[in-house]
Amino acid sequence: MEKSIETIWKEGFLKKDAVIIPKLNNLYSQKSKHIIDKIRRMLKINLVGIVVFSFMVLVASYVQGLFLSGVLIFILLNVIVFVNRNLLRSIKEIDKNLNSYEYLKSFDSWLKKQIAINEKLSAFVYPSLFISMILGFWFSERFQKGIAIILGNYNEIYFYKGYPIFWILLLVAITCLLAFFGGRIYKWDVNLIYGRVFRKLEEIITDIEELRK
Amino acid sequence: MSSDFYKTSILPFAAIIIKICRAYTNNQEDFEDYYQEVCLQIWRSKDRFRQQSEWSTWIYRLSLNVCLTLLKKKKNNRQHFASDYIYAEIMEENAAFSDESLNQLYGAIRQLKEVDRAVILLYLEEKSYQEIADIIGTNPNNIGVRVKRIKERLKKIMS
Repeated sequence: MEKSIETIWKEGFLKKDAVIIPKLNNLYSQKSKHIIDKIRRMLKINLVGIVVFSFMVLVASYVQGLFLSGVLIFILLNVIVFVNRNLLRSIKEIDKNLNSYEYLKSFDSWLKKQIAINEKLSAFVYPSLFISMILGFWFSERFQKGIAIILGNYNEIYFYKGYPIFWILLLVAITCLLAFFGGRIYKWDVNLIYGRVFRKLEEIITDIEELRK
Repeated sequence: MSSDFYKTSILPFAAIIIKICRAYTNNQEDFEDYYQEVCLQIWRSKDRFRQQSEWSTWIYRLSLNVCLTLLKKKKNNRQHFASDYIYAEIMEENAAFSDESLNQLYGAIRQLKEVDRAVILLYLEEKSYQEIADIIGTNPNNIGVRVKRIKERLKKIMS
């Protein structure tokens, strides 16, 4: 007589070898590999995105008559890409023969170093981007009329020896603020894009540390 | 995960996890990955266990959720490689157990829809319709009819 599925199930699992428990080893090897690959992929995509964006800025600036801005921003963005591409290459120096924990820790250190370098770079990049935009407007023929109107309508007491001292001071203040907050803006930006995956990395490291206790 | 926790809270219920993971994987490598992931999730989520249900029921629920999530991820990853996916589906490993009928039954279960696999596993584990509904998060009224239909389908596949 044909066995019912209930009987097959019961009898099958009565046999000793039916429930062989797998060993828990290399618990995190897959996870480590996955998270590191994901971060590397995201960083690469980000760099490609910056390059594409820099070309778009160049074209748009030419069309809008702000070519100087475009060129300066293009150079700045590609300096960022150059620095980060070299940083990304240094991942290869991490020894792949390390165990999951050591590999994750090495990668985490690399990531922190990369963020620290970019944080310092941002103190220079953000003000430079701002100055590039201002210079672009200042030297653009298309915007001369507008600038003349703004400065022309301005009260003379704000001029010193013919220089629009109020505007200059304002620009210097904004530039200083951007230099001061550049690192923080960068960190906020990084957290917005990579926050989730970075937290996941930290979570895995904490888990393994707990496991090792 | 402390070995104490593993020994006292997971190991006695390993059979449950194994039965579920086998139903959602086609080969030994995937099975071991799923088993490890379920154990890991149990350990990580243990503080969220509210004792409103049995520990074993909670393990059923969590194991099923983990397996379904992993399966979904795997399918998404393979969307770009349709041929791989089809190949993996065909490559059903039917030699996980020494009992040939059990291998055949698992082979048939793996051909069911994901949720139907959960329903039949819980039914075979002698869970009541109410418990099955609680674990899966559905209406208990439909479970009976659904079990009947799944059993018919299994018989058809196995014959």
